[in-house]
Amino acid sequence: MEQTSPPPQGLVANVLRGMMPFAVGIIFASLLHFVLPGMIGRYYSRIVTDIGIAIVMAVSLNIVNGMTGQFSIGHAGFMTLGGYTAAFITYYGSMCIWGDTASHGGFLGRGEWLFAVSCLMGGLFAAGAGYVVGLPSLRLRGDYLAIVTLGFGEIIRVILQQTGPLIDSAEALKEGGWSQMIPPPVGGALGFGGVPKYTNLFWVYTILTITIVVAYRLKISSIGRAMISVREDEIAAQAMGVNIARQKVLAFVIAAFFAGVAGGLFAHEPGVIVSPKDAGFQRSFDYVIMTVLGGRGSISGVMLSATILTALPEFLRDFEQYRLIVYALLLIIMMLVRPQGLLGIHEIWNLWPLRRSKVSTATPEAKS
Amino acid sequence: MNKPAAKEVVESRSAQKPLLDVNAIGISFGGLKAVQEFSLQLPAAGLFGLIGPNGAGKTTVFNLLTGVYEPDCGEIRLGSKRLVNRKPHQITAAGIARTFQNIRLFPDLSVLDNVRLAGQLRNQHGLWSTLIRTRGHLREETMLEEKALDLLRIFELQDRAQELASNLAYGHQRKLEIVRALATNPQVLLLDEPAAGLNPQEKMALAQSIRQIRDRFQVAVLLIEHDMPLVMEICERIVVLDHGVTICRGTPNEVQNDESVIAAYLGTGLTDE
Amino acid sequence: MSDFIQTLITAMAIGSLYALIALGYTMVYGILKFINFAHSDIVVLGAWVSYTLAIRLLPLLGLDPHNPATVPPIWVAAVVLLAAMTYCGVVGFAIERLAYRRLRRAPRLNVLITAIGVSLFLQNVGQLDFMFGASPQKMPTLLPSWELASFTFGEGESARRVVIGLIDVVIFSLATILMLVMQYMVFHTKLGVAMRAVAYNTDTAALMGIPVDRVVSFTFVFGSVLASAAGFLFVMKYPGMNQPAHAIWVLLGLKAFVAAVIGGIGNVRGAVLGGFVIAFVEQFGAFYISSNYRDVYVFALLILILLVKPSGLLGSPLREKV
Repeated sequence: MEQTSPPPQGLVANVLRGMMPFAVGIIFASLLHFVLPGMIGRYYSRIVTDIGIAIVMAVSLNIVNGMTGQFSIGHAGFMTLGGYTAAFITYYGSMCIWGDTASHGGFLGRGEWLFAVSCLMGGLFAAGAGYVVGLPSLRLRGDYLAIVTLGFGEIIRVILQQTGPLIDSAEALKEGGWSQMIPPPVGGALGFGGVPKYTNLFWVYTILTITIVVAYRLKISSIGRAMISVREDEIAAQAMGVNIARQKVLAFVIAAFFAGVAGGLFAHEPGVIVSPKDAGFQRSFDYVIMTVLGGRGSISGVMLSATILTALPEFLRDFEQYRLIVYALLLIIMMLVRPQGLLGIHEIWNLWPLRRSKVSTATPEAKS
Repeated sequence: MNKPAAKEVVESRSAQKPLLDVNAIGISFGGLKAVQEFSLQLPAAGLFGLIGPNGAGKTTVFNLLTGVYEPDCGEIRLGSKRLVNRKPHQITAAGIARTFQNIRLFPDLSVLDNVRLAGQLRNQHGLWSTLIRTRGHLREETMLEEKALDLLRIFELQDRAQELASNLAYGHQRKLEIVRALATNPQVLLLDEPAAGLNPQEKMALAQSIRQIRDRFQVAVLLIEHDMPLVMEICERIVVLDHGVTICRGTPNEVQNDESVIAAYLGTGLTDE
Repeated sequence: MSDFIQTLITAMAIGSLYALIALGYTMVYGILKFINFAHSDIVVLGAWVSYTLAIRLLPLLGLDPHNPATVPPIWVAAVVLLAAMTYCGVVGFAIERLAYRRLRRAPRLNVLITAIGVSLFLQNVGQLDFMFGASPQKMPTLLPSWELASFTFGEGESARRVVIGLIDVVIFSLATILMLVMQYMVFHTKLGVAMRAVAYNTDTAALMGIPVDRVVSFTFVFGSVLASAAGFLFVMKYPGMNQPAHAIWVLLGLKAFVAAVIGGIGNVRGAVLGGFVIAFVEQFGAFYISSNYRDVYVFALLILILLVKPSGLLGSPLREKV
């Protein structure tokens, strides 16, 4: 997985190498955005968008659950926090800048840049929450941590339900002044509607690329190894110089950041009204199931399971009531038969017989 | 019943500043004094042994030295650094590495990764360099890998670099534990029963190995072992623990013939006290 | 003052329920060292089985189940309760046997995931049309709504009545009886000794000749029996029943688990204490501070305890080994 020859010199070469995957990703995302809807229509494009968001959520959760081995079942809480933050900035920002909350500018227009900034802020806010949630993880055993993360999601849900109603016009905003920001006017139990719908295939898949590249680079590096060692044996990891507290909190912060950004994407998706119940455990379970099935620690495995588990329900709508039952049975059977998930810690691209680099982590030698 | 008093033996070596200076550390769990007033002066490149009957507190001493437990009292110094109140990973960074009584390799990581992990504690490049893949980061990762492979080569494990650590034979796993500890670039190496479960040939090879490690890597070694011939053969000095108390310290010869040591291992019935 | 007393009464009743449920969590955690997420679904099951039975039984006696005024004879309630307890006991046995037994030596997180799977399964199977359906229902009245005692505070217009209803007394008494049975069983019988031995060290207990599988099965059955009783009592007091997968049930179970942790996980008396502590915090917090944040108080208390005294109020018999 890692090249052994020293990298070519030259600053330009380095920058190119580092940025290449992102460039590729942006091109891919643009292609998707402009070509796909024409090919498969709006309905299926929507599914592809949903898949993208789910992958970001699942891959980021994998950093905590899969690589670092902590059991977090409140990931949706970070997502919803980020989503609300992003929605808040776009909605009220739009009002302040343009006087209304409609979409402004076309593809990569001014409105979309506001949206990009607000997603970033959503991610940062969620990352801060990730830090707060990550701290107790230092003192708590696995199953207790699960309960605390569950509680976190529920607390977010309850708090969001107590927020005030949306302010629906720029004039009302000016008149009310700062006092109407406490409690934040984000819609309460009804959710945050009326957000300009900027999410499209381009943004989703650009962010998806960034997420995957970050997760991958993390995994093959020293930091990734350190995180995995925390999962395998904390005491041995400490004895080998790993600061386990730092790795645990770092995992939470990074994962929460991407969840927050995904939340921003979610909140601005056409047809979606982000609401407090999106922070609850039902949603979190969906992502946990994706990481468990795909393989704890496998980026590609989790991408696969996220895709399948997001797309399949769409095609099997008639069987909706059986969906969770099937998931439940899958979980139980997985744990009995193949607890490391479909791919375990391996990546799909490592299972190929031809490998260019001679050194790679977690090659599928005797154990699968 | 009186515990036998500690018998000090005059050091024949000229007094030099010890590398690892442990001064009267102790710890109690609940009401039980697991380790009392343990002191040790380990010189650089020294090879000392820590022995005692089961339950004497030997691994507890290791845990105290590596920061897993915090001593109730006493001082631990490595060179000029004070090590009490430090977290385990900080102590490892300072220069004390250990192996475990029950093997604690990372089962899902490859042999190479186990070693690489131990070597990376002094990495300079952090999160952002990793994410952007700066030249410095890549250089660091390459060097890390080379050093790890070199280490594996010295111990003839390089052919198994890609195998999962859990798939190695027991003897190789024990070796890997030591290699991993060495990868942290320590000044002091604590080996906890490295010969456990090895057959006689492997034990002889291990004895050789430990001496060579000490010479080649210039580390001081403190060894917990139950295999008396091994200990007597390679250790310069031995400390004997019983029920947390140091009952004897000295050269192998002195310890072997000490009455309280014999009593501790075999029971008081055989000696006249 | 009247509000205080009323809140107190409610807290005692709810506390009994939390305690009953918490006992199941704590017993299973003590023996198998994992959180049985599916435990709260046994509570739901108990409630819904009671409902189904009542709905079927009352017409046979010539009573209209949907009429809250007609009250059946007491034995009907007893029959329903016993039937629910039996049914849930069997289900608990089956779950352990099928899903958890093979994972006895697996990492605890794996079992936790399985438990989540079982929980999801129970919830959603319960929602199917041929089972309980997904619509809320109303539990038929099985107990007369007698007032056993009432106090009046204040005079004339500001007079407030506080009522101790039969239901509250039944809940509290039944729960107390079950807890006393449990206390006797765990501390004064050979079976109890076996349970505690298995909780302390499963392998050694097996080597001592204790039939570990049977002890574990029994623990699950007993925990499920208590849980189903709690479910039955809950819908006696709050007849408006939500669908099986509704969040309310999961929160109920979650709070009971928090109660077990607060009291000291693995500690039977701690579970009872924890149940009442949680109920008091929840009820008094909801009344005097704000009922909107009802769920938050409990979780906040959990986080506090875990950070300050993780072994719980009465201490946990389970120790962490380095």
